[in-house]
Amino acid sequence: MIKSAQHFLNRHVKTRAALLLSLPLGWMIVIYLGALFALFLTSIWKIDTFTSDVIREFTLENFTDVFTDRAYFNVTIRTLMVAISVTLICAVIAIPMAFYMARIAKPSNRPILVALVLTPLWASYLVKVYAWRTMFYPESGFLQWLISPLGGKSPGFGMIAVIIGLTYLWLPYMVLPIYAGMEKLPSSVLDASADLGAKPGRTFREVVMPITWPTIMAGSVFTFSLSMGDYITVQILGGTFQMLGNVVYQNFSLNLPFAAAVSLIPVIIMMIYLAGIRKTGALNNL
Amino acid sequence: MRVTNLRKLAVLVAAGTLVLAGCGSSDDSGSGAYEGPLQDTPGTINVLAWPGYAEDGTNDPNVDWVTPFEEATGCTVNVKTYGTSDEAVQLMQGGGYDVISASGDASLRLIYGGDLQPVNLDLIPNYVDIFDNLKDRPWNTVDGKNYGVPHGRGANVLQYTLGKVTPEPTSWSVVWEPNSPAKGKITAYDSAIYIADAAVYLMATKPELGITDPYALDQDQFDAAMALLEQQKPLIAEYWSDYTKYIGAVQSGSITVGTSWQVIANVLNGEKATVGAVKPVEGATGWSDTWMISSKTEAIDCAYKWLNHIITPNVNAQAAEYFGEAPANSKACALTANPDHCNLYHAEETDYWSNVYYWKTPTEDCLDGRTDVKCVPYSEWVKAWSSFRNK
Amino acid sequence: MALIEIRGLSKAFGSVKAVDGVDLDIESGEFITLLGPSGSGKTTVLRMIAGFEVPDSGTIKLNGEEITDLPPYDRDVNTVFQDYALFPHMDVITNIEYGLRVEKVAKEERRKRALEALDQVRLSGYGSRKPNQLSGGQRQRVALARALVKRPSVLLLDEPLGALDLKLRQQMQIELKELQREVGITFIFVTHDQEEALTMSDRIAVFDKGKIQQLDRPAAIYERPINEFVAGFVGVSNLIEGDAASKLLGKRGTFTVRPEKISIDSGGVASTARKAIGTIKEVEYLGPATRFNVDLEAGVRLVVLKQNTQESSQEVMSMRGKSVTLSWELESEYQVQ
Repeated sequence: MIKSAQHFLNRHVKTRAALLLSLPLGWMIVIYLGALFALFLTSIWKIDTFTSDVIREFTLENFTDVFTDRAYFNVTIRTLMVAISVTLICAVIAIPMAFYMARIAKPSNRPILVALVLTPLWASYLVKVYAWRTMFYPESGFLQWLISPLGGKSPGFGMIAVIIGLTYLWLPYMVLPIYAGMEKLPSSVLDASADLGAKPGRTFREVVMPITWPTIMAGSVFTFSLSMGDYITVQILGGTFQMLGNVVYQNFSLNLPFAAAVSLIPVIIMMIYLAGIRKTGALNNL
Repeated sequence: MRVTNLRKLAVLVAAGTLVLAGCGSSDDSGSGAYEGPLQDTPGTINVLAWPGYAEDGTNDPNVDWVTPFEEATGCTVNVKTYGTSDEAVQLMQGGGYDVISASGDASLRLIYGGDLQPVNLDLIPNYVDIFDNLKDRPWNTVDGKNYGVPHGRGANVLQYTLGKVTPEPTSWSVVWEPNSPAKGKITAYDSAIYIADAAVYLMATKPELGITDPYALDQDQFDAAMALLEQQKPLIAEYWSDYTKYIGAVQSGSITVGTSWQVIANVLNGEKATVGAVKPVEGATGWSDTWMISSKTEAIDCAYKWLNHIITPNVNAQAAEYFGEAPANSKACALTANPDHCNLYHAEETDYWSNVYYWKTPTEDCLDGRTDVKCVPYSEWVKAWSSFRNK
Repeated sequence: MALIEIRGLSKAFGSVKAVDGVDLDIESGEFITLLGPSGSGKTTVLRMIAGFEVPDSGTIKLNGEEITDLPPYDRDVNTVFQDYALFPHMDVITNIEYGLRVEKVAKEERRKRALEALDQVRLSGYGSRKPNQLSGGQRQRVALARALVKRPSVLLLDEPLGALDLKLRQQMQIELKELQREVGITFIFVTHDQEEALTMSDRIAVFDKGKIQQLDRPAAIYERPINEFVAGFVGVSNLIEGDAASKLLGKRGTFTVRPEKISIDSGGVASTARKAIGTIKEVEYLGPATRFNVDLEAGVRLVVLKQNTQESSQEVMSMRGKSVTLSWELESEYQVQ
């Protein structure tokens, strides 16, 4: 009996694969697609305005609220600006950093450098953000101490603090894929470029950058999406500044359907973003 | 991170719908308060409380009125604290909690939502000692049915850093007016209920609006309050809801003045006096908190025993003193460690409380009794606040 | 004056001396091969000529000008890499044009020269392909075209045929040699394959332990290896030394005889010929020839290579274990160091 089943599975490769994958696939469908669907479903329900109970009746009111109130358009734009800034700054820092780690540093030191890049990930998210909070205190923070002798002023809490905080938090997610990409880059290709007359700057622009571009895009998926969804850092470093995550957080206890409608905005933006960079091959480098 | 959040949300959605489905079918139990008598069955109660209301020695080994209760009754107590009334409502709707210390802006929502059960006061001997002006109030009694026992009350005070704000303020104008000397270092409470604080200030400064109850605002009055908040926004350093973050900000000097709780001032003054806290001349919003029992509790005996325990004169005295508010039990005043506590918090002065406007949930039917206009309900307050914060 | 003059070139990696005092003159238009096992220093010399490595000491002159410390992009030499090193994100024509674009050659001129180069390596029509759409041999030619299009005075080739299969490699050997004659550029060719070196080169420099062991024309290298190493590395060597040398040859020292110079059981041997008696231990049938391993009574094993002019495979295979007499001409026997 068992033998004949074995024989059957041996001959029917697709059945075998389906049986093997059914559990993880089912899990993925339930967790990811199910969650997304539940989110969408919730966003078209009503609530009892007094008790905040969800009433399962169809309405588009949540979407009209989101799209007619200019505040939510503004907060979307602000969130996008933060996510884009964080991604750009991370890229600008991570590219030379990864290049140094992968191509210039002694191979024996590379594991140490990778570990160093990872150190921020070892500490708790909250500890790190609170540490930045103490740095940003307008009166007594470290930044004020650092900048005031130069006649500057600490930016205090707000958008800039949020961008700096998020950049710090997500930088490793940008460095690591680029590092992996640059390490795979054959050194002969760099030699070839120099051999053909290109100075290092040109080699970097025309050879290193285009070849590692998909890994930069892969890193950007992390920094961009993590920034789009963050609300805790914004609460701690943002002062009065808010992002989409905060809107969701503020509303989901009192008006879950509205919060669900708002949280579809970053979902849609991420889908567009992923579709946009799919062609670069970034998704193969995640 | 984003995906995780969405997933959490989705799980909440799923959990929420299940619970709500359960709610819909639960009968409103008529007059059905528990009849007693209380049994000595051991059980476990999950307590949802404001920080400082149900101390079990975790924060300070000397501050503990949970353990004696557990030893005396055999009931096990798990405490979960929350930061805002909105959070409390959400947690309570999620289920799993047996008793809650609810402020007035949460209690009605929970009662109408079917999350709480009427309380049989005969089973709570300590109830007789509660101050009369806390009994049978709209936020703890509905249709003549009592839903809990009062715990304590307090005003949302104006807190200022000594030496940084001079002269020492006695009016809320220091947080509302554009020429405030503390401009850029002001804080405000990050919740829709803070709109009522604007209304309190308008009651004193713009009598022509005719506001008599900051929780009963018609559209014009509401718009005026929102306009005042807009005017205040550039003055604000941060909105607060996490009071540890607030304390850090005051200590660092990035915040010097704003609405606060007495307990925050007490923590800040722990080693040496650094802040002052007053109820300004305009009056203040405030809270009056009530211990209530979940309609779905399975440990009803322990829940009743907890309600009785928490308003025992010496426990009520400890809790009120630790939190920094006026106790609800009139006999507690004689038992406070600081014999002056009740005077400090005006526990026995009826006049003091006349311009403290306890948190309530605004409804479309005006709470001040007006019938010629519709008032702005709390759901609109929440929408307006969300929009205002993200403008 | 030689085109390239290398004097006292040394380079160490850590404690390992990769190149140890190399002197080498290379003439214009020459095809010179640096031959040696891996780790012998031949590639390091090439990389120092290209500028990818800086020597610890010594000088390199190109056209009489010292280039020892110049970066690669300032040297009039180009390299064909072992792994081709094509730019994967550029198509073939863009790869070839890269060096010209860097040089700021005008667009039309650039395209014209690139197409010519492509034609030269017989890849016309492949310009718009991406490197990953080409076979190994085609990539090799693109790499060649990319280097040649710059018209360098020296082309450096770092084991360029190493990754190709035997057939293709032999074909490319011929093409490369033809190309070199056609363009007249000096080729410095690095390989560990002695056959390749013998086929293509004008001169061969045999490397071992960071030093040039012998520098000469291919025939001279093969027929008159200067020492044991060269004898062993270039072709199969039969070494006769110690007691065996005294017994067989009547002299002291180390001597070598190439396997194809030894006759097996031949009747008519000249009086001056050496003779030795032994037993066939192994027989390897190679098609056009057969290889015999013969243990001599004098206590040494010699390899003998015999053309299969008449014998069938069965006949040669049946010779295993037979007692035979080996003989060779005296002039086939060389003393090595």
